[in-house]
Amino acid sequence: MAPSTDIAIVGWAQTPMTRRTDLSETQLLLRVITDALEPLGLTRADVDFTCLGSCDYITGQAFSFVSNLDAIGAWPPKRDSHVEMDGAWAAYEAWLRLQEGDIDIAVVTGSGRSSTGDPSLIYPMEMDPFFLAPLGVDPVTFAALQARALIAAGITSERAMAEVAVRSRRDALDNPDAQVANDGDVDTLLAGDYVREPLRRHDLPPITDGAAAMVLATGDRARRLRERPAFITGFDHRTECHNPGYRDLTDSPSTRIAAQAAGLGTGPVEIAELQAAFTHEEALLRRALDLGDDAVVNRSGGALASNPIMATGLARMGYAANHVFAGGRRALAHSTSGPCLQQNLICILEGDA
Amino acid sequence: MARFVETSIVFPYKRSLGPVIGAFMTGLTDRRILGIRCGEQVLVPPTEWDPATGAELSAEALVEVGPAGTVESWTWVPTPSEQHPLDVPFAFALIRLDGASTPLLHAVDSGASDALAEGMRVAPRWRGARTGRIDDIVAFIPGEEPELQGDDAGAASEPVTMMDYDAAITYRNPVPAVLDRLREASRDQRILGQRCPVCARVYAGGRGYCPIDAVELGEEHDVDLPHTGTITNFTIVTPVQYPGQTETEPFARVFVLLDGTDVVLPYQPVVELAVSDVTVGKRVAAAWAPPNDDVDEGGTMGGAYGHLIGWIPTGEPDIDDPDLVNRIF
Repeated sequence: MAPSTDIAIVGWAQTPMTRRTDLSETQLLLRVITDALEPLGLTRADVDFTCLGSCDYITGQAFSFVSNLDAIGAWPPKRDSHVEMDGAWAAYEAWLRLQEGDIDIAVVTGSGRSSTGDPSLIYPMEMDPFFLAPLGVDPVTFAALQARALIAAGITSERAMAEVAVRSRRDALDNPDAQVANDGDVDTLLAGDYVREPLRRHDLPPITDGAAAMVLATGDRARRLRERPAFITGFDHRTECHNPGYRDLTDSPSTRIAAQAAGLGTGPVEIAELQAAFTHEEALLRRALDLGDDAVVNRSGGALASNPIMATGLARMGYAANHVFAGGRRALAHSTSGPCLQQNLICILEGDA
Repeated sequence: MARFVETSIVFPYKRSLGPVIGAFMTGLTDRRILGIRCGEQVLVPPTEWDPATGAELSAEALVEVGPAGTVESWTWVPTPSEQHPLDVPFAFALIRLDGASTPLLHAVDSGASDALAEGMRVAPRWRGARTGRIDDIVAFIPGEEPELQGDDAGAASEPVTMMDYDAAITYRNPVPAVLDRLREASRDQRILGQRCPVCARVYAGGRGYCPIDAVELGEEHDVDLPHTGTITNFTIVTPVQYPGQTETEPFARVFVLLDGTDVVLPYQPVVELAVSDVTVGKRVAAAWAPPNDDVDEGGTMGGAYGHLIGWIPTGEPDIDDPDLVNRIF
């Protein structure tokens, strides 16, 4: 879908990415929203619309987003929304809202404190309540079943997956905001034990506490706020069946359709930030997106370097925007939700609207 | 380093099953596994809709499949969680039951991971006492022959229409420093609030920031709040005996506007004030637990602040102010 108004990312910020923070989610958001606005010379009073992405199951509190609203300075009242989704979907909603043309500036956030509970016990509760939740099927199990399907289909291998892990965490050495960064060795990693065969520890993302905030602005306002805004030239998300048994796990049609709808095919991208939290997902997403070898994937280290659930996708958009801010021409950001890449979001960012 | 507290939340869900999933669950109690015809396919587990088009599928299209099947993909679980169906290492597998077009995700009890292979044949191990849940199948086991674990209690006498799903999660959360200060001050019979340095509004309850100005508040912003006030609004709760409810008789929760401030303490308990005597405008004072008593650490909805256990009538005449009832914030 092509926007009817020029809408751009003009800035973003993220909290330190840590295994466990002693700050509440609201405190994380208080700080990160300020950090996103201040460099642009904006205050909360300039914000016309906010959309917050978070998850009550992770927080362990019904309507937890209501207390998160305190972080945006809720008085005088602002137009506000919430998605029980990654902040990338909050950005999608803000992008839609800004197209109405009556407001200029939106702030979106994604926030999550995964350390609050045990992810392997929380996530099964979000699955199909009849066939999956009663068995306690956890995210690493879903990922492992998909990894084996991809290996059997010849799309990736345990070695190729280890190479993704080594490359990502090596790239993360250049990223001061990464939680896990190191210079590993593929053969050493392959000698490790399985966590869920065929996945080893290195194939899994870290457990991360963190939040991200992003500022979107329209047309001329965006150009006044930043010399080179990252204009959103395509934005789409699609979903598939929830139960992985109904899907071909070696394909990601929702990613492909979202990319087509976002106009990915009209030209190459220089960089792609993919929310591939498990190593094998990168190979599948590259195929679904038909990314050329010249596209640099997850230079930030990706979700394998830090994985703040509910903010991981929004951070992908942020890193892609950084590429455009710094003079890049075209970048892709991807976010995902649900078991085995059930739902996928594609955002294309360009230096020229 | 902040202090962390653990709390467990129980989610006792009762789910209605509908015509298709209900029939599937009823079939399980009879040791039969049902799929549903959808065009050329047979979907297992069955759904009420075509996954590709959303078209409605009728319970009349249900067909029996299995009980044996073939493993298509699997992963080994070396350390089962408390939610998993087995407490020994096992596999989660995608199993295509004979006659099905889609695989069922379930557990395989194979003893060791090297006993598993794509294409291996498995059959269900049925629970003796079956209630119409997916875990009426304890797990699948290698081979063609189903097993029974325990004495067979037989099929359900009535169609299964509901399913219980009790989940519990333990959360570990940091306690904001202000809450500890507030609780500590309550031992000395003090009610702490915090004053925003920007707008000068005072907040009670240990929020730790001003939601109007979005600034964090620290110890330097702590202020003492008065111990007397007026009930502005109230509700009488008739307790429903949901899990965790300890009250059995109707009880009041009142909103108290503290004297000389704009602070309203919401949802407070009352002491020595009968439910029938609670009124808007009633004058109340803080009631305290003895300093050495252990008090409920909960402090959530309904819990008073540490040793502040509620509000007791002062005996002064009620305040007659028609606007008072609007002061709930």
